Amino acid sequence: MGDDGIFEELKQSVIDQDEEKVLATVDKALAAGVDARKVIDDGLLPGLDVIGEQFECEEIFLPELMQAALAFQSAMAVLEPKIRESGGEGPKKGRIVLGTVKGDLHSIGKNILRLLFETSGYEVWDLGIDVDLFKFIDKAKEVDADIIAMSALLTTTLIGQKDVIDALGEQGLRDKYRVMVGGGATTEEWAQKIGADGWAPSAYEAVTLAARLVGAQAGSAA
Amino acid sequence: MIDLIEVFDRAETGPLTSETDYYMKRYVPKLAEVIARYGIKWDKQTIVNTDDELTDNVFSAAVDLLAEAGAYCPETNRVMEFTRDEILTACAQAPTSATFGEGRERKAMRGRRPDTTDDRPWVHVGGGIYTTDEQVFVDTVEKMASFSIVDSVSVPSILHIRGKDARVRSPQEVLATIKTVRLAREGILRSGRVGLPIINGISAASQPASMFAATYPDFGLRPSDGFLIDFLSEMVVGYEALQKVAFYNTIGANIGSTSTPLFGGYAGGAEGVAVTATCYMIMGNLIMRGTYHYNAPLHSKLHLSSTKPLIWAIALSNAAIGRNMGYPMVNLPYLGGGSGTKQYHYEMACYMLAVVTSGGNVFSGHPAMAVQPDSLVPDDHRFHAEIGLAAAKLTRAEAEPICQKLFPLFGDKLKEPDKGLTFQEVYDPRTKRIVNADYQRVMDEVREELAGMGLEVPVS
Repeated sequence: MGDDGIFEELKQSVIDQDEEKVLATVDKALAAGVDARKVIDDGLLPGLDVIGEQFECEEIFLPELMQAALAFQSAMAVLEPKIRESGGEGPKKGRIVLGTVKGDLHSIGKNILRLLFETSGYEVWDLGIDVDLFKFIDKAKEVDADIIAMSALLTTTLIGQKDVIDALGEQGLRDKYRVMVGGGATTEEWAQKIGADGWAPSAYEAVTLAARLVGAQAGSAA
Repeated sequence: MIDLIEVFDRAETGPLTSETDYYMKRYVPKLAEVIARYGIKWDKQTIVNTDDELTDNVFSAAVDLLAEAGAYCPETNRVMEFTRDEILTACAQAPTSATFGEGRERKAMRGRRPDTTDDRPWVHVGGGIYTTDEQVFVDTVEKMASFSIVDSVSVPSILHIRGKDARVRSPQEVLATIKTVRLAREGILRSGRVGLPIINGISAASQPASMFAATYPDFGLRPSDGFLIDFLSEMVVGYEALQKVAFYNTIGANIGSTSTPLFGGYAGGAEGVAVTATCYMIMGNLIMRGTYHYNAPLHSKLHLSSTKPLIWAIALSNAAIGRNMGYPMVNLPYLGGGSGTKQYHYEMACYMLAVVTSGGNVFSGHPAMAVQPDSLVPDDHRFHAEIGLAAAKLTRAEAEPICQKLFPLFGDKLKEPDKGLTFQEVYDPRTKRIVNADYQRVMDEVREELAGMGLEVPVS
């Protein structure tokens, strides 16, 4: 079997959300001498792209997305040490600190976003729900985040997103991080009003937005 | 039925597990298992199910789901487990009616069976849309309460104090909640129907302190009103909800157990939502000690409930409970179109035809995607209540072809719905009469179109 065959097999194992098959195929690829980085870039990530598209088109739902993500994460536990051994770096596209703002106990939208970020190659620190504004800021400082992403479902909790942006400004950190907001109660107008860098109406579109923001961040840092 | 303290104890004594493990090792696989076990399948076309074997299978699957997956308490990280016997006993002992209101407005909302065409369902109108102007708030409540066909109202929310939005869990939230309740009762007083019940005077999202404060009798709420207590994420029973259960159960109030299973979330697609929504109604009685259920399944991306698979699932969950438990239900429709638009009325008619013929009571909905402050327009709600009462004279089999005619009129617009009107754009501020001729014309045209499809909707 040529490399194309093994990459197709890796891709399909992710699409099938079959953790055992993913791990077995990863082992097979590594045994055949395929570079760990290529296993990810040419095999697993294309599979996750398909999963993302299927999720967007409602062919699959959150449970299937989670199964695929868990299978991917198991494969990464095998592949990342190999990449480090060979002196390479992980394939991460960016670092994101994510959470539902203070006072808001809703998690599903945020959890979907975490999975989509992770399976799109981002490193994610999920702070959970009801997150204090300083937790966002402290974690972003600690991990040198590119993006702070905040979710809010309720009209009464939206203000928590503004609180974080205001606090970043007061601490002189506003330009250090890109801030994106989303969630049931948010709108593009709201995002503009509070000075966020971006807003997305769905988790899937948030991933595209993150790529744009990380690119802009890299551009402004250069 | 096991007693309430025992229910609370289950949150402290059940198996310890993380939230992720609860979903990935219990709820998600068990849901898939019970769906396969009972052969539950949506054919991607039907809107109103008429297959009673499928209906009963959904109920059985919901019982199995609760017995095998349990519910999850995030504060203790434990699974609240219940045996099949405990669940079935609770179902057998569930209330089949809930009495609301005072004086001449005191009436019972009853659990309904599907295809019951000779009763009058409970008529509930309103919704928790954000209102910015306090005069509009009182006028809106007064107008809704003044419609003679209305049995209870939901009221809009006032989220601000002295012009500033009240932050969740802040002292201002307590004051805003109290203000909402006081003004709601004032609006009802002005309508001349002082005993009319408010069945969501306080948003389910409010903190317990705000809800308890606003329940102080002098502010105008009574145990004969309704108090919503909701589940958070799928199958999650949080301590805040249980605190509310402890309080409202103790004062003998009507508890509206409330759930919002998400299409596209952990529940998956149509089949998962149908089973999970039914399971919530069972849990609403067993855990929340509800006297009625407030069923509000929602699309996770579109934030509305009028997609074809969702209407199928919502109607099916009503039929499953109606045939097997008799717990009174209302269903909150989140609609795509804005107030006063044809899209909005078509969506409502399709939803109402499906759920009312399947055993639900009548509940007018509100705009979701196109929502804007002050967009609760009372005459929409009267029209939708009239549609609900007309639907109650039909069977599911009679409703299905009408729904199939209606769906193409709005299905393609759900992602980018028509914008609607506000209270101020429809009514004369002094007389509260409709002054927007287009608004009235749209409603009249839809009424005529519905008659042409086989649904005569008399003006009340």
